[in-house]
Amino acid sequence: MNEVAQLRKSFGELTAVDGVSFTAARGEIFGLLGPNGAGKTTIIGCISGLLTPSSGHVRVDGHDAVRHGPAARRVLGVVPQEISLYEDLSAVENLAYWGGAQGMRQPALGERMRTVLELTGLEDRTREPVKRFSGGMKRRLNFACGIIHQPKVLLLDEPTVGVDPQSRVRLLELVRAQARDGDCVLYTTHYMEEAGSLCDRLAIVDHGRIIAAGTLAELRAMLAERDLLRLSGSFQAEAAKAALAHIDGIEVLQADAELLILALPEASRRLPAIFAALAAAGSEVRGTTLTQPSLESLFIKLTGKELRE
Amino acid sequence: MRFLWISVRKDWSRVRRDPFSLATSLAIPLILAVMMSLVFGRGQAVPQGRLLVADEDDSVSSNLLLGAFTRDPLGKMLLVEKVAQADGRARINRGDGSALLIIPAGFQEAFLRNRPFQLQLFTNPAQRILPQIVQQSLSIMVDGAFYVQHVAGDQLRAFDTGHAPPDELIASVSVSINHLVTSLRRYLRPPAMDLETEVVADPGESRSFAATFLPSMIFMGLLFIANSMALDIWKERLMGTLRRLAVTPAPLGTFLAARLIFVATVFALMALVGLAAARGLAGLPVASMTAAVMWLTFSGSALFLMVLVVALAAATARAASVMGNLIVFPLAMIGGCFFPFEWMPAWMARIGRLTPNGWAITQFQAILSGEIDARKLAVAVAGLTAVSAVMFIVALRRLRSGFMV
Repeated sequence: MNEVAQLRKSFGELTAVDGVSFTAARGEIFGLLGPNGAGKTTIIGCISGLLTPSSGHVRVDGHDAVRHGPAARRVLGVVPQEISLYEDLSAVENLAYWGGAQGMRQPALGERMRTVLELTGLEDRTREPVKRFSGGMKRRLNFACGIIHQPKVLLLDEPTVGVDPQSRVRLLELVRAQARDGDCVLYTTHYMEEAGSLCDRLAIVDHGRIIAAGTLAELRAMLAERDLLRLSGSFQAEAAKAALAHIDGIEVLQADAELLILALPEASRRLPAIFAALAAAGSEVRGTTLTQPSLESLFIKLTGKELRE
Repeated sequence: MRFLWISVRKDWSRVRRDPFSLATSLAIPLILAVMMSLVFGRGQAVPQGRLLVADEDDSVSSNLLLGAFTRDPLGKMLLVEKVAQADGRARINRGDGSALLIIPAGFQEAFLRNRPFQLQLFTNPAQRILPQIVQQSLSIMVDGAFYVQHVAGDQLRAFDTGHAPPDELIASVSVSINHLVTSLRRYLRPPAMDLETEVVADPGESRSFAATFLPSMIFMGLLFIANSMALDIWKERLMGTLRRLAVTPAPLGTFLAARLIFVATVFALMALVGLAAARGLAGLPVASMTAAVMWLTFSGSALFLMVLVVALAAATARAASVMGNLIVFPLAMIGGCFFPFEWMPAWMARIGRLTPNGWAITQFQAILSGEIDARKLAVAVAGLTAVSAVMFIVALRRLRSGFMV
């Protein structure tokens, strides 16, 4: 189990994480969803002991991450965002080193190495220097090094960035397998689809704060089944807002000179009325995109901006 | 403890897989050592010149004079070559030779008859030291000949018969010279007064080329490898392996200790191979191989820690590289790694011996020549260990205080 309470981390004047609290249980995949720079990696850094929190508490399987760092790190597995491997060494040498760093000994280490190499599909390339691996293979070995010691809590920091679709599917399946085995998995990503399909519960992070948390169903309910209508063209923001205010159930999420984002129920049926109101307000619509309720539309509703990579 | 050896093995595996990264650090000192060996060879670091002699007298006296140039110590510095006068003049004009000595015909007769005579010496202006040595030596010989002529002129003139002297004459002149020397003995060797002369030798004066130059090259190699291996900490940081290590229960102190042990084993191996090669191929005198290898290992490791502290203090990998080079190259220059202290101006050598590598080279040369005793060596090792311990702690603190974040 992983417990984070009122976590705060500042770097000088900048507050990267501001009062974050959540709990992730064993066997659960808990997602931290947010754009780059939202504070996800800083939260992971504080949980893993790489960063010392400015305030708040982090408990990893009952161990305080600051006061009992080594005990917490013994039950913690981390798969970092960057590929953190010795590329001159082989897969076996990397696994032996990282297993050794976790205090594993032979013959258990050898047995576990065989298991994770099989799990990650690298059993045929064990003696080859990692620098000859493809990006996807390196990602899988990066993952294997994080789970070599069978951690109780697994932190994955955007592990699928830059991975080909085939390797991504394999990696996500590996993550699910870890949770099925009873691990508490904390997963950060900025891919909505990935978060939606993988995570049991999610926290949406922006500017170092959790702005929404819950299961996917709970989060969708926050949108009240409203569609997201994205209009591009030429707008006079204030005039457009005033014109749309006369239409029932419309919420303007974003309004600027070239883009309008609206949340409303049954959007397709009400398009003619919207176009007429905007034309009367001197706006010109050139493009329309209608999106069904999703994590992305929720994120836009909550933050007023799109989730960019 | 187990992680310590796993880490050492990992570092060696990395070197085994990419040996060129380490080998390139040795390229400069190796090339320099080979080139200098080719230029100076294995012998003494003594310049050698050529004395051209046009001996137109070709007498016993002229040959005696030339013989003085072929005996030590002049013989080590000068190669005497007899030439015809015209050929000698042409060669010295071309700069081929340190000096040309012309002994005109009639030299012996003039010497024995105590008549004024002139020897001619032409020196090569392109050379500074050797022609002066010839000139000074010749001047001393001429003075000596003058006094010999005055003291034993009568006896010597007895030989001036134009043909081989009979045995009776040789015996009679020998007895006569013996009486002369006996009568002069009280002036030449006053019994009540004895002059004891002690020449305080400059330690570098009698050192061979190998003993002078190779220690410098070895330390240049140590410095460059220390710099290269210290910068590897930045490679680890950029690869993300340091961050990954920091989230394992393995202590960073053990990681750093393992790195130090790895570095020490690299230096020990380098020292063993390098010294064996230098002794076998270049004739480097090594009084104690064990002490020399140990010293190189200790001092190399200390230099590594010194550069590591600098690398860890830098804000970026590039800054670390620049700072490392800014420290290593001047230290190598002034600390006797590029040029031995014996080749430096005295003031620079004095400063250079105070640098960390300069001090280590001085101790190393003493170990090689056997001039250092066990007690002095123990004190030096203890000092080095203390300094290394301080630098280890500083490096560890920097590693723990956010270097990898």
